[in-house]
Amino acid sequence: MNALLRFAPLLLLLPGIAAPAHAEDAQAVVEASFHYYRGDTSVGTVDMTVHRPEWERVFTIKAWTKGEDRSLIRILGPPKDRGNGTLKKGPEMWMYNPKVNRVIKVPPSMMSQSWMGSDFSNNDLAKSDSLIKDYNHEIVGTGSHEGKKVYVIESHPMPRAPVVWGKQRLRIREDHIFLEETFFDQDMEPVKTMSAGDIRMMGGKLFPATWKMQKADAEGEYTLLEYREIAFDVEIPAGTFTLSNLRTPER
Amino acid sequence: MHTLMAWRNIWRNPRRTLVILTAVVIGVWSMIFLGALMRGLTNQYLEIGISTLTGHIQVHHQDFRSDPVIQNRIDRPGRVAEALEPLLPPGSHWTERIRVNAIANTARHAQGVTLVGIDPEREARVSFIGGAVKEGNYLEPDDPYGILVGKALAEDFETRLDRRVVLMSLGVDGKVASRAFRIRGIFRAETEATEKQYMFVTMAAARDMLGLERGVTEAAVLLPSHELTGKTAEALERRLPTPPLAVQTWRDLLPLVRVTIELYDTFIFLWFLVVFIAMAFGIVNTLLMAVFERVREFGLLKALGMRPRGIVQGVLTESFFLLLLGTAAGNALGVLSVNLLAESGIDLSALAGRLAEVGMRRVGYPQLQAGGFRLANVVVFVLGIVVSLYPAVKAARFTPVEALAHT
Repeated sequence: MNALLRFAPLLLLLPGIAAPAHAEDAQAVVEASFHYYRGDTSVGTVDMTVHRPEWERVFTIKAWTKGEDRSLIRILGPPKDRGNGTLKKGPEMWMYNPKVNRVIKVPPSMMSQSWMGSDFSNNDLAKSDSLIKDYNHEIVGTGSHEGKKVYVIESHPMPRAPVVWGKQRLRIREDHIFLEETFFDQDMEPVKTMSAGDIRMMGGKLFPATWKMQKADAEGEYTLLEYREIAFDVEIPAGTFTLSNLRTPER
Repeated sequence: MHTLMAWRNIWRNPRRTLVILTAVVIGVWSMIFLGALMRGLTNQYLEIGISTLTGHIQVHHQDFRSDPVIQNRIDRPGRVAEALEPLLPPGSHWTERIRVNAIANTARHAQGVTLVGIDPEREARVSFIGGAVKEGNYLEPDDPYGILVGKALAEDFETRLDRRVVLMSLGVDGKVASRAFRIRGIFRAETEATEKQYMFVTMAAARDMLGLERGVTEAAVLLPSHELTGKTAEALERRLPTPPLAVQTWRDLLPLVRVTIELYDTFIFLWFLVVFIAMAFGIVNTLLMAVFERVREFGLLKALGMRPRGIVQGVLTESFFLLLLGTAAGNALGVLSVNLLAESGIDLSALAGRLAEVGMRRVGYPQLQAGGFRLANVVVFVLGIVVSLYPAVKAARFTPVEALAHT
């Protein structure tokens, strides 16, 4: 879900932003990429596949985002989970379960638990802008991807930042496409990797249609996000990001 | 003359005397030894409880114990200091803390803990943490990122010195407050539960994380002796605004310890009773045998004009010697065995390996206590003499005629 929140928001398609700037430092590269996907609003529909060696589940999810810190996620299918929702405003999160008809505020103790059984944690959702705020970035190398230059960036958390990772390694293409994000623990062993694929025009710009979160030490465990459609810069009705809306089924 | 006769009488059948002496010795020894062991266990339990962030007296906001969140805090700790300091007997120490529930996270692990913001210098004099850091260093008063974690938790988390731990809790504004800390030291505690429960940071770091400008959640007092607890707590209660503040002693704060001590006291008392009843039957039996063997002798004494009182006195003196010898040897043996084991302790893990789960040590160190010692001796002596009255009165009732008929 990280991908959803971090990248789904609209890029305001300013012509100048895509121009490669070679003098960019690491911080600027990360921020530019972040803002490439961030915008005023987005509405997207995603298939989320949670894969385990013994079983696999596919959820269909619709997500609305606005600005940097508001999002509403609603499960459309399978029928069993239909109507479950998650609302995020700033650092706070609420979850709604239609079966018990209750909204709960996600307490600190649940923040590191998995979201809907996937490989994303509640923290991944709640702290989607942590990469910009909590890390020092450094370009450690370059590569290429589909003929374009790729920056390899290592990001180390700032001393007091509430970050559990030892570091992150990012691969960002010069046209701001976020290719890969690897999370390392404090022994600098990789924990999980999120990688983008199937980069194509979606909602009016180049966008990776699939995102895969893969645990480093469990080969057969991953979560795959496949965008069915995404629209950027659309009008989102006032009152979308409210608790009462979270409770209201389909609209 | 009674004394000499009684002394000689008890040695007329040395084997029987030795058997009854053995019974008395074992009884007295078991009272002293078990009493000391129980006392040692409960004292240790109490000491551990008090040093594990309890102290003898604590001051909280009245709602903190039922709902331990940062909102239920002591907003003006200065008033507690003013009220407390003039009251404290010499040798007391006290400190302030911020104690909140938190979640500790690393990349692969997460667990609920109790985060304690401490004043490192003052805390070291009040609770166990001052001497408990076995790896790394204790906190410096101005350390903004340092955290102390328990050995067992560090092992669970597969983490070590200088690694980061992220803590999350509810801040003063009611929102999630989180912050990273760096492991400065790893501490050991008496129990694994303690090692897994507590994490220590400086007061300033805790305030910074929770968004608190001043204020603490508790003040804890360590007194030079347990006996001063009630008096000091009462005096403190009178000087503090209660409510909104509340004063509690270890008896309120450690209900399990209090109940355990009471249970053990009852147990010791019952043990004394059982041992004594067994011993009493032995004493009565032996003396009755001795009395019935000497029916003719008592008849003769009567015929010579001795009063029944004299005979009672004679038999009681015999009983007195038996008890004196028995308790003396039992006491000596008890003191000796307690002293021998006071150093090394007794490993109870085979009998009660799960004691550690309630915060007791696996090794019991017996402790002699004047009260228990006195009680054991008084019980054996006084009640011993009382039960001897029966054979003594029996002996005094023989008439010369009965004695003659007796073969």
